[in-house]
Amino acid sequence: MNILTQNDIQHIDYKDVDLLKQFINPHGRMMSRRRAELTSRQQRAVEAAVKRARFMGLLPYVQK
Amino acid sequence: MAKAKAGAIETQDVAQEAAESRIYEVGYHIIPTVKEENLDAVVGKVRSIIEKAGGSFIAEGAPVAMKLSYPMSIRENERHTEYDHSFFGWLKFEAPAEAVLALEKALKADMQILRHIVFRTVREETRARLKLGTLREVRRTDTIKPVRRVEEVAAPVSEVDLDKALEELTTD
Repeated sequence: MNILTQNDIQHIDYKDVDLLKQFINPHGRMMSRRRAELTSRQQRAVEAAVKRARFMGLLPYVQK
Repeated sequence: MAKAKAGAIETQDVAQEAAESRIYEVGYHIIPTVKEENLDAVVGKVRSIIEKAGGSFIAEGAPVAMKLSYPMSIRENERHTEYDHSFFGWLKFEAPAEAVLALEKALKADMQILRHIVFRTVREETRARLKLGTLREVRRTDTIKPVRRVEEVAAPVSEVDLDKALEELTTD
């Protein structure tokens, strides 16, 4: 079971940086759906939120 | 003929969709050189644009100082200035689609706004409420029990046995 289903999270907000950090690796790249154990709908929602967060400087595009 | 009819329906749909209000959220970064007491004025400007276009507010996050994940630059009088800090705030509002066009244009022209984002969202609260302790949960496997070492018996060894053992080792 993934974090989103466990916590009954329907919407993913780009401002929830701590939640989004669960789905990115130490380099700032997104985890694969298989690794994150998300449904395809959830993965798309997380993807959109991560991209918004990156654009707004809340998350890095790349991290060394 | 059929094509023209379909086109007419389409334009009607577009017009109808534009007339009804939608839920949007705007996020913005205010440049760090703005003094904290003047932040309200900048936010007031954003709010007035939405109000003027016929929007109504649903939720708001007041601007707070934050460190950006990467430096952002903005053009100020033919010069680029880079910032690594900003005041980040957001607004959730309901407004017709044209309001967003006006808002985007105004935010882009505003020199005090470092960056902004406007997107469609839902009326419900989207911030996740996590149950405490579920984040960073460590999956526990069975605890590994320490294996007790069998203590070596330190018995006196006779000279003969020792010689024998040494000989066996050296002949190999």
